[in-house]
Amino acid sequence: MLYPLYTNGLISDGLNFFFALLFGIGFGFILERGGFGSSAHIAPIFYFRDLRVAQTMVSAIMTTATLMIISVYEGWVNFDAVYIPPVYVWPYLVGGILFGLGMVMGGWCPGTSVVGMARGKVDAFMFALGLLSGMWFYFDIYDKIENFANSGALGRFTFAQLFHTDLYVAFFITVVIVVGLMTFMRTMKAIRDQKGEE
Amino acid sequence: MNKYWHPVLTGIVLGFVLYATFMVAGQGLGASGAFARTAAQLAYLIDPSYASNAYAGKYLKHGNALANWIVVEVVGVFIGGYISAMLAGRIRREVDKGEGYSVGKRLFWAFLGGFIMAGATRLARGCTSGQALDGASTFSVGAWIFMLAAFGTAFFAAPFFYKQWKNVKEGE
Repeated sequence: MLYPLYTNGLISDGLNFFFALLFGIGFGFILERGGFGSSAHIAPIFYFRDLRVAQTMVSAIMTTATLMIISVYEGWVNFDAVYIPPVYVWPYLVGGILFGLGMVMGGWCPGTSVVGMARGKVDAFMFALGLLSGMWFYFDIYDKIENFANSGALGRFTFAQLFHTDLYVAFFITVVIVVGLMTFMRTMKAIRDQKGEE
Repeated sequence: MNKYWHPVLTGIVLGFVLYATFMVAGQGLGASGAFARTAAQLAYLIDPSYASNAYAGKYLKHGNALANWIVVEVVGVFIGGYISAMLAGRIRREVDKGEGYSVGKRLFWAFLGGFIMAGATRLARGCTSGQALDGASTFSVGAWIFMLAAFGTAFFAAPFFYKQWKNVKEGE
């Protein structure tokens, strides 16, 4: 198994950093091309006015997940060496709720705000300042919430672990969730379109 | 001004880049970690006692918190975003907001949104990139806990911010 190159010790730290810059440039370029450098493009998803944000995320997840499962099947990648954020159930739930609130208030998420700043969006700049201040605040309160922040720890936890099955079934479950969510979003948009608000 | 790419095309191209990132680095694309590290480094420069902070200390123990993969990657995001916007003629100093909404209020909510989101990304170990996209692409259960909570809350909270996003257009 050749991949991941860095984890397998096949490329140096320096080269890994070089690729980080390269993939970052690709990421930023694509986000900007897709309209993610503007909160005017992102915010309509909250009202189901259009589903562009969801369509982009879903297509990206499906593309990467499909390439990943092929790579696992063909034995190209050591999947155990691929980093997946460890799961902490309660912090993820509360973090997700706060994140959703921040998205509606701010109109950005961390990645898109970087692209927004590159385009000159002043609201993206304010959002980024808020992010930095909020991080600092988190450092200051961390010793009081440390126990909660590490509660419900499941470690590396994919659908394969949840259902005691293999990665192929996990991939299939991911596809089912994605299709289900997209169907839900389309239904919500159809209801909104029918009501014809705005 | 150039038109944006079709969302499905954007997603597929992004998916290939994300896959390549996993194959090379063994980790996916991210964003919030770079903000956390920048904040840690700033805090340290102003008050060196942050080196022993229970959270920021993790970033500072090997020296400069910015000497890290994710920071390099996010610098790339800025460069890539700038190149794309420049080629499309989209670089302008402006604010995105709803019709007739005040700029001051918009900037206030942008700041507060970022402030709240910061801690949220620390609790959730990532954001829409490093948690949602990366996790879902690697079949992680956590990515969906996070995404459903985030977007579920966004849909419920959206009516309270209706004026900010009413007939929202780019730039003012």
